[in-house]
Amino acid sequence: MADVKKKFTVLAVDDTPENLDVVKGILTPEYVVKVAINGPMALKIAEKQTPDLILLDIMMPGMNGYEVCRTLKSNPETRNVPVIFLTAMDQTSDEASGFELGAADYITKPVNPPILEARVRTHLALKVSMDELQKAYGIIKVQKDRMEDELNVGRDIQMSMLPLEFPAFPDRDELSVHALLKPAREVGGDFYDFFFVNDDEICLVVGDVSGKGVPAALFMAVTKTMIKTRAMDDHSPASIITRVNDEMSADNPSCMFVTLFIAICNIRTGEFRFTNAGHNPPYIKRNSGGLEQLDQRHGPIIGAVEGMAYKESKIKLLPGETAFIFTDGVTEAMDTASQLYSDSRLENVLDATKSGTVEDLVNESLASVESFAEGAEQADDITIMAFCLNEESGQSNHHQTQFVIKAELPEIERINGQLDGFAEKHNIPSDIVQKFKIAIDDLVTNIISHGLKDGDDQSIGVRFEGSEEQMVVEIIDEGMPFDIFETAKPDTTLSIEDREIGGLGILLVNELMDEVAYKRRNNTNVVRLIMNLRKE
Amino acid sequence: MEISVREVSGVNIVDLSGSLDTNTSQAAEDEVNNLISAGHDKILFNFKELDYISSSGLRVLLATAKKLKVSGGLMKVCSLNSVVQEVFDISGFAGILNLASDEEEALASF
Repeated sequence: MADVKKKFTVLAVDDTPENLDVVKGILTPEYVVKVAINGPMALKIAEKQTPDLILLDIMMPGMNGYEVCRTLKSNPETRNVPVIFLTAMDQTSDEASGFELGAADYITKPVNPPILEARVRTHLALKVSMDELQKAYGIIKVQKDRMEDELNVGRDIQMSMLPLEFPAFPDRDELSVHALLKPAREVGGDFYDFFFVNDDEICLVVGDVSGKGVPAALFMAVTKTMIKTRAMDDHSPASIITRVNDEMSADNPSCMFVTLFIAICNIRTGEFRFTNAGHNPPYIKRNSGGLEQLDQRHGPIIGAVEGMAYKESKIKLLPGETAFIFTDGVTEAMDTASQLYSDSRLENVLDATKSGTVEDLVNESLASVESFAEGAEQADDITIMAFCLNEESGQSNHHQTQFVIKAELPEIERINGQLDGFAEKHNIPSDIVQKFKIAIDDLVTNIISHGLKDGDDQSIGVRFEGSEEQMVVEIIDEGMPFDIFETAKPDTTLSIEDREIGGLGILLVNELMDEVAYKRRNNTNVVRLIMNLRKE
Repeated sequence: MEISVREVSGVNIVDLSGSLDTNTSQAAEDEVNNLISAGHDKILFNFKELDYISSSGLRVLLATAKKLKVSGGLMKVCSLNSVVQEVFDISGFAGILNLASDEEEALASF
């Protein structure tokens, strides 16, 4: 198609019609020339259809050229139209006042035709360039807004996926968990999650998706959902991650990936199984005061290689010990001199924090990072999660204590000690305490001697519950299935010579207690010993 | 658990206090075996200060009773608290061991 050039429109304003004729004569036919013989008329024409350039006389009756120019510049529609003053006055101060008002140029009369033509051409060319720049800027701004919108949408998706209410489990005194995510200005793709997979086991997840914007947020949402779905029927971190990785790697056109730490903790036994997929190693704050880095690696980042078999490790978490899980936004936070916050600074903070809640620990470590990085822009999301099992807890009329012992016979003494303390605190009669001690002695001896496999670092969970009605002792072990009711009863009528001692312990447990309940729960044996406190 | 032995008119009285359970029964059994090896065949367990007994403790009593039965000796148990008595009842030990309400009654029947 032929390039049909649009003719530019020039508005000439002068109270002397002869002057207008001169200008018209010079600029026609190259330009469309409109004329006005006074200010108000000029403004009316300019408003009706914006000209491309205005030639403006200064000395006019009624409204002079300066006023017309001021009015044009105050109207967004006409603000960018170049104005060339055309006047008989040739004093420098007049030129200055014209330029102050935003005039593009100044031509003195009598008009020299080639000069007028040249100036008009130049300013129209400038105007075209300006318009193009303006248009380009408009496009850039739309794009920029769209990108920011996308970042905001990504951020909204990201934040909406996180559990943000704390305390997270107000009716579960046995554990405390706290977490926060401090987003960088642009999306960093961090996430965290925690949820019970059943009554006794809680799943903790902290991850960091590579990439930004909506795609990263969606990838994170899919990963998080997939983990939770898998975790509900598969309680092995290694197996969960192996399956999630296969699914994420198989269909991953955008080649995104995620580093992940996942743990499943049995809050009764303190068993803490975890898988680290390319994530930075968490810490365990031990009761001994030591800080243990969980530096075991169990496979690559998720989403990269299909068919990887991830592994897992197992540790024990005693009541009072805290797992501290975080993303690299913490240790790689930079100060204004581009120094990293680093593992060692974090370790110092974790070491120095001696008491307080998990929330305190999370907040104190964040405060330390923030004061270190003050003045520097946060480049990556910061995510921190702290989790611990609680030693003891109490509500007004329902008390409970739980703890974990090593699967060794001398540890029974520890249960007895705890039981004495609990009994004293809650006024449990001594004969009931003695019966509990007998039942515990026989039950735990049985578990250690017969139920558990040798050579493993095993533990046994113990829980006391007391109300006004009854006291309950719960013993939880990870041994092979062992139903206390399945045990054959010994013949208690035989004489001394014929009596065997076997089975007697379990008989005592069943007979001494008001009620005994057994169930197999998540690969653990749970025996509940119950004594009624209100005897008739 | 604390364990001590004293002799009153030819009977070795074993005083036990605390608990006779998994973690203490071995010490009690060792003590009693020493008495039997030394030729003592009249043994009285005084449970006046014993809080409770589990099946591990019962095993020691049963083993001791069997040994003395073979050697023609005699074992008695006295001064059971209500919980220990209940354990003896449940296990059938109340029927197969010689029980006395107190030390005086026990000594009189040796």
